Amino acid sequence: MSSWLDYTINGLIVGNVYALVAVGLALIFGVSRLINFAQGSIYLVGAYIGWVAVVQLHTPLPLTIIVVAAAAALVGLIIERFGLRPLQNSVRIAPLLATIGISFVLDQLVMLTFSPNPRALPSQLPDVRFQLGGGTIGPLDLLIAGVGITSALLLFVFLRYSKLGWAVRAASQDRDAAMQMGVDVNRVNQAVFGIAAALGGVSGMLVGMYYNQIDTAMSLQATLKGVVAEVVGGAGNVPGAVIGSLLLGLVESYGVAVFGTSYRNLFAFLLLVVVLVLRPNGLFASARQAPPEPLTGTFIAPSRPVRIPRWALAVAAAGFAILPLFPVSFYVLQTLINAWLLGMLALSLTLVAGTIGQVSLGHAALLAIGAYTSALLSLALSVPVGLAVIGGGLMSAALGTLLISPSFRLRGHYVSIATLAIGEIVSLVILNWESVTRGPIGISGIPPLSLFGYDLISPSSVYWFSLAVIVVLALLQGRLLTSHLGRSFRAIRDDDIAARAYGLSLNRYKSLAFIFGGFAAGVSGGIAAHLYSYINHETFNTQQSILALTVVILGGLGNVVGAIVGSVALVGLPEVFRIAAEYRILIYGIVLLLLVRFRPQGLLGTI
Amino acid sequence: MTNSSPEPLLALSNVNTFYGQAQVHFDLSITVARGHIVCLLGGNASGKSTTMKIILGLVKPRSGEVTFDGASLIGLSTPQIVRRGIASVPEARRLFADMSVRENILMGAFVRNDRDAVAQDLDRMLTLFPKLGQRLAQRAGSLSGGEQQMVAMARALMSRPRMIVMDEPTMGLSPLYVDRVLELIRTINQEGVSVFMVEQNASLALEIAHEAYVLQTGRIVLSGPARALKDDPRVRDAYLGGSEAA
Ligand SMILES: Nc1ncnc2c1ncn2[C@@H]1O[C@H](COP(=O)(O)OP(=O)(O)OP(=O)(O)O)[C@@H](O)[C@H]1O
Ligand SMILES: [Mg+2]
Repeated sequence: MSSWLDYTINGLIVGNVYALVAVGLALIFGVSRLINFAQGSIYLVGAYIGWVAVVQLHTPLPLTIIVVAAAAALVGLIIERFGLRPLQNSVRIAPLLATIGISFVLDQLVMLTFSPNPRALPSQLPDVRFQLGGGTIGPLDLLIAGVGITSALLLFVFLRYSKLGWAVRAASQDRDAAMQMGVDVNRVNQAVFGIAAALGGVSGMLVGMYYNQIDTAMSLQATLKGVVAEVVGGAGNVPGAVIGSLLLGLVESYGVAVFGTSYRNLFAFLLLVVVLVLRPNGLFASARQAPPEPLTGTFIAPSRPVRIPRWALAVAAAGFAILPLFPVSFYVLQTLINAWLLGMLALSLTLVAGTIGQVSLGHAALLAIGAYTSALLSLALSVPVGLAVIGGGLMSAALGTLLISPSFRLRGHYVSIATLAIGEIVSLVILNWESVTRGPIGISGIPPLSLFGYDLISPSSVYWFSLAVIVVLALLQGRLLTSHLGRSFRAIRDDDIAARAYGLSLNRYKSLAFIFGGFAAGVSGGIAAHLYSYINHETFNTQQSILALTVVILGGLGNVVGAIVGSVALVGLPEVFRIAAEYRILIYGIVLLLLVRFRPQGLLGTI
Repeated sequence: MTNSSPEPLLALSNVNTFYGQAQVHFDLSITVARGHIVCLLGGNASGKSTTMKIILGLVKPRSGEVTFDGASLIGLSTPQIVRRGIASVPEARRLFADMSVRENILMGAFVRNDRDAVAQDLDRMLTLFPKLGQRLAQRAGSLSGGEQQMVAMARALMSRPRMIVMDEPTMGLSPLYVDRVLELIRTINQEGVSVFMVEQNASLALEIAHEAYVLQTGRIVLSGPARALKDDPRVRDAYLGGSEAA
């Protein structure tokens, strides 16, 4: 790789790969107004089916492509039929959460079947490169371009000339009106999921061949890149998704050329945030207007929260407080400490998701900010650890709110995308800002927790400390929610147009919620840093964000006690049942799916 | 009501509808006789559009019965109901904005598989709506409100329905277009299509309707032959707004 032409070719080829993912996302968004977070998992499945076909069955290339497309399409049809169709009359957050759960389940199934170790996926094509101007191009590049262009043409013909294609277009412009023409929206959904999955699967296989390597981390990356490309092109806009993808490929490739490989993703997510803020309908939308989300209506399942009497809560807290006085094992305390830390993150998320309706998928970034701040304060500036943790909380509150504030005017799914991207950006900045964060090496030798000069080394002291922190945070948050402010928060969640009409300044309230939530999450991250004594840019990852979201849904969105109960349940139950670590994520995914389907209001109810 | 009438084409009986906790219809009963134009009048938020949605299966009633040509529509999906012979001109027209006028009109024939006859019907629409001829390739979203109304009506006719339900077909149109639309509804009806239309503008609707019902916050408060209601002061009292154009 040297010439600009090479970078351009590389950008366009990678762009073609993104297009195969993004077009599927656009089709699905068009018809269902749903961002399919499982699209990357289908891409992953496609890559591994390709591996089975090539390495074990020795299929020739054309047959490999057909096998992958067919198998992936089947997965797509199954997802539509059993994962999403039952949620048709559900609250709007339900399908979004379901696709997240499905993606966890699929990724874990692939990992359990094929092991997490990377595998080589040979391309079956001769390894030659042709000169082209000042650059080179290989047969695989041509194959990818060929598949991309052929798929685009086929899709164009389908949408323009087939009856089902017309139904897809009509349904994506006006679903109700299409039904009134006799269009069966279930069939349209089926078609769209089948096509999206086939394209996504083939894309995963091609990428595997391109890098001659496949592993399970591909899934999330593919979803993210596809979503970026789709939103850049305008959500639901199929030709826009193709152009957005090529643009994304080029931006990344040139970014790599100038700054180096570790900046590839940073450029992708910055592009996304810039587009979301400046042109939320995509680069090709005619006006700068809010994206097409239903304005009102229940995004979150309404319910009456389960009332738990104060004395019961006090008894429970006292019970947990005296626990270390009994001969319990270190292991039990350790598990509960993890639950308290996750609980603080869940408190934060349940506040922003449950009360102002901002379903964040990047909440772990707040942990990372708190952790790095606290670690660096105590290491570099010798700030006492107790103060450093508070510093971490404050930094998370300030920086988190600042980072999220440009997307305050977004709603529903778009908030989730924006927070996901911001989360990735935080982790990429940590990776690349070596002079402060020590980059990929991470920070080691972080001093242990201490309070007023006494080191908290013993498990029971750490346990008491984290229990005390979460109780204080929970009390504050409970207080906040019953105040006038808390009622304003919920007014915003339920109907932000009406709330604005009543003169509520949305940005101020959203900021307040994020400041409070950011502090709780930052404190959790800070404590974690001192507990672990070593952190790096991957310590706090998307998986944790999703775990926190599952906790929050389990407990009931917005429900303070629910967030803590959910944490104890999700951290504790796998320990109680001694479920092996590699099955846990699978189980979290299944829990999320079951909740969304059967009890969207959670155990204790939304508030 | 005439007691000699045979079985009606469409009948809603004792329909109760809810959105969440809020009740929108209270024991609603409406019949549309074969070949008639029936008009449902009522002020804002009285539940008119919801009545259309009940007929089309877009909203499910909590209790009550809806029959079309003697068979129940309850439990059928919207596409199934459309296939029984009910076409619609929805509130605010709801064209497929990014599709061409031609594609929009042909979408109306989605339930049909007789290609040649569909092509003939398209030609017939162009004689019925001559202005659309030059606009066939244009994006439907770029048409004027009146033109869009024409497309919506042509689209509904393309399924060769036995009945058309229309939600405020004259809303937002200039007086010239209003007359044209009313004339077209009469023409369509004379060709044998029964019409159920929702209107706020009582005096206009009563010009062309055979029967009318007046809805007030989910209850039928008045009904009868349109001729009789035209001069009935209670119509105007029954709901706020809408009829000042009289
Ligand atoms: N999807 C919905 N969810 C909740 N409430 C609804 C919904 N659609 C309508 N409503 C409410 O039901 C009532 C009746 O609405 P509907 O649209 O049937 O009235 P309408 O008579 O057609 O009014 P308009 O003349 O303004 O078109 C209104 O109070 C409206 O707010
Ligand atoms: Mg209406």
